[in-house]
This record gives sequence, C-alpha cells and structure tokens, in this order.
Amino acid sequence: MAFLLGMLAAPLVYGLLSPEGFVQAPRIDASFATIVAAGLLVGLGPRYGSGCTSGHGVCGLSRLSPRSLVATLAFMGAGFAMVFVVRHVL
Amino acid sequence: MHRITEFFVGLLFGLGLLLSGMTDPAKVLGFLHRFGTWDPSLAFVMGGAIAVGFFAFALAKKRTASFLGGALHLPKSSQIDKRLVLGGLTFGAGWGLAGFCPGPGIVSMASGEVKAAVFVAAMVVGMALFEIAERTGLRRRVGA
Repeated sequence: MAFLLGMLAAPLVYGLLSPEGFVQAPRIDASFATIVAAGLLVGLGPRYGSGCTSGHGVCGLSRLSPRSLVATLAFMGAGFAMVFVVRHVL
Repeated sequence: MHRITEFFVGLLFGLGLLLSGMTDPAKVLGFLHRFGTWDPSLAFVMGGAIAVGFFAFALAKKRTASFLGGALHLPKSSQIDKRLVLGGLTFGAGWGLAGFCPGPGIVSMASGEVKAAVFVAAMVVGMALFEIAERTGLRRRVGA
C-alpha cells in the first residue's frame, strides 16, 4: 500500500523538482472506449500470466528467468502487432 | 520503517517512469510501432533497468533476508505454460491499444490525467474479473 502511495506521490515530487513546477500532462489520443478496453486487458493479462513490463520485463529478465523471457516476448509481440493493426489495418 | 521504505521505493519507481517517458502513451506507442516509424529509445529504459536489476537480484539471491530484515519473496515458478503466454499476449494487446501498462497508468492517474484514471479503473475491473473467473473455475474450461 505504501508503495502505491509512493507511486502516486511521484508526479507531485517530479513537478516540484522540474523547472516548470508541474508535470506536463501527456497527450492521450485513444478514445474512452479504447481506454476502457485496454484497461480491462491490462488488468486481466498480467494476473493471468503473473507479470507485466516491470514484473517479467525488468525484474524477470534481471533474474535471467526463461519464463519471464517468454512472457516478455509474448507481450512485446502482441504490443507490436496491436499497434500495427491499429495504425495500418484498421 | 518498512512502510517508509516502501513509500520511497514506490516514489523512486514512479519518478523513474516519469523521467524515462514511460508515462507518455504517445512515446510508448512509438516504441511499439515496430513495423512502422519505430522509436526504439524506450528499449534503453528497459536495458538500463535490467543492467541495475541484474546486480540487485544477484545480490538478493545470495541473501536470505532483505537489508531491513524482512523475508525475501523471489519467484520460484519456472514453468512455461499456456497461462504465461496467453497472459502475456492479453497484456501486450491492451498495452498496444492505449500505450499504458500498470505502473505508468497509476502514475499518470496521479498527475491528474482523467483518461489514465479511467484506465486504472478498468484495470482494477479486469483484475477483479480474473479473480471471479479463477474462483468459478472458468480456468479449467479455458484449459490452463
């Protein structure tokens, strides 16, 4: 829980440290419907496959875990494919 | 003491995500646009994190307790199964759809991004759906 609070405090601290005094909000092009669909998938996937970019990608690969390598290749591949489909096919 | 450390570790993680550009969906989607106008710079974020993490985990593996005396919970599973691959594919599809993964989604929500908050809410629903599916034994039907 404290870890989450730390993460939530990050934009505030980052803003205080930056010359602008606040965090510049990133531009999000995706529609609300896309955001909801993406959120559902991102909620489900890492629970089912026990890890995300940080869990498998950073921590798992740091431990040289073959299991995490497979997961990382899977989500990177799916990410590449999804962006390709969204930008070139649809 | 543990809570304070946890807070600062979370803060550091969040700052790293902000500084590296991981909280900017446009940047993330640029990285995922592998078969197009690829922006590979975020690979260096992962590479940099692994370069540090490698030594951190090598040290952790030699220890039985954390520096603060807490128990270490390193993953023990080494099974590569359908669950792992399907979970990874599901996550990647969602990641590629909006450019958010869990950590940056949470951090962006705190910077006051409405869409990030909607994303996190949907993510929590997704996690809850998983729990429900697990409990009702849907898992067996999927064959995992």
